[in-house]
Amino acid sequence: MIYLRLFISFMKIGFCSFGGMTMIPVINDEVLRYGWMTASEVMDIVAVAEMTPGSLGINCATFVGLRTAGLPGALFASLGVMMPSLTLSMLAAHFILHMKGNKYLESAMRGVRPASLGMLAAAAVTLSVSTFVAGGVIDLSGFSLPAFLSGISWNLVLIAVITGVILLKFKLSIPKTILIAAVLGLLIG
Amino acid sequence: MEKTRRLPAIFFIMMKIGLFTFGGGWSIIAQIQNEFVDKKGWMTEEQIVDYMSLAKSFPGIMIINMSVFCGYTMAGPAGAVAAAFGLSLPALVAIAVVTYFYESLRDNIYVAKILNGVRSVVIPIIISACLRMRGTAIRGKSAWVILAASFVVCALTGFSKLLLILIALALGLLIWRGRISDDLS
Repeated sequence: MIYLRLFISFMKIGFCSFGGMTMIPVINDEVLRYGWMTASEVMDIVAVAEMTPGSLGINCATFVGLRTAGLPGALFASLGVMMPSLTLSMLAAHFILHMKGNKYLESAMRGVRPASLGMLAAAAVTLSVSTFVAGGVIDLSGFSLPAFLSGISWNLVLIAVITGVILLKFKLSIPKTILIAAVLGLLIG
Repeated sequence: MEKTRRLPAIFFIMMKIGLFTFGGGWSIIAQIQNEFVDKKGWMTEEQIVDYMSLAKSFPGIMIINMSVFCGYTMAGPAGAVAAAFGLSLPALVAIAVVTYFYESLRDNIYVAKILNGVRSVVIPIIISACLRMRGTAIRGKSAWVILAASFVVCALTGFSKLLLILIALALGLLIWRGRISDDLS
């Protein structure tokens, strides 16, 4: 039965990956095996995922589900890829809420919190490089400052700075700031 | 009972957040701070920081994990399900539409320009979330060291997030050893 197979395949994809680009090899394995997509279609779906809100995992599940078994297929595939969250994260949330006030958990979390913040700050840097720098990577071998500077998309840096000021100084809401960024992109992006 | 009444709000707010989640999902953090900490007061800043790294290091999709953690905290298992489905719904609709028009969208210069703008704004959104979290995440000098180490490791290497969090967890236990009340400065 196709619905069950979609569900199980995408559940596997969910449990074997940690979101984002790390999902691509696992997605490849599953969808190529059943002939649901070709390798170049997988790359197309990465591009589509960039165009649409939400995560690559859900987007891919929806795309494959729609193509192979219509709307119910999309629902079963999405549900499959959501299974790790609905089981493991749910259990962890339960556990943490019940341990609330425990001094050892609080101690452990005091180590985890700065690590989280470091992770988030690093995400800002990684995304800056992939967004602003030509080719999406900093080439350290044969690095030259003029070439590096001329490879930067200054128009996008400008958009980031303008929207940053709007967000931090004028405290505009995130959806509105995103819409402004879209308009700025249309003008100078 | 009180918590059951939160379910529709959790579903619809998550749907709105899902509609505006671009660029790898990290922008969801700032939106959750905004909606559920500031506007609703159903979660604390501390909980967001705690869940963020767990959501990233657990298997599956980070933003769905995050929505489950938050939904569960606000309204139990039903809240978790409402949050996860609310968050995924816009993606489901968007992908159906975009897939249909994919050929014409792919080569459209205006679409590319808009996406450039949207990708750029994700960075200040993440920075704003970082700035807010400073006070909650940093307690004492050792926290700065952990922050710096984690930042360098994540920015420069593909080191496993799960291992990183486990190490940080062990460090937290070693450094504070359950002695929390005496250093609440």
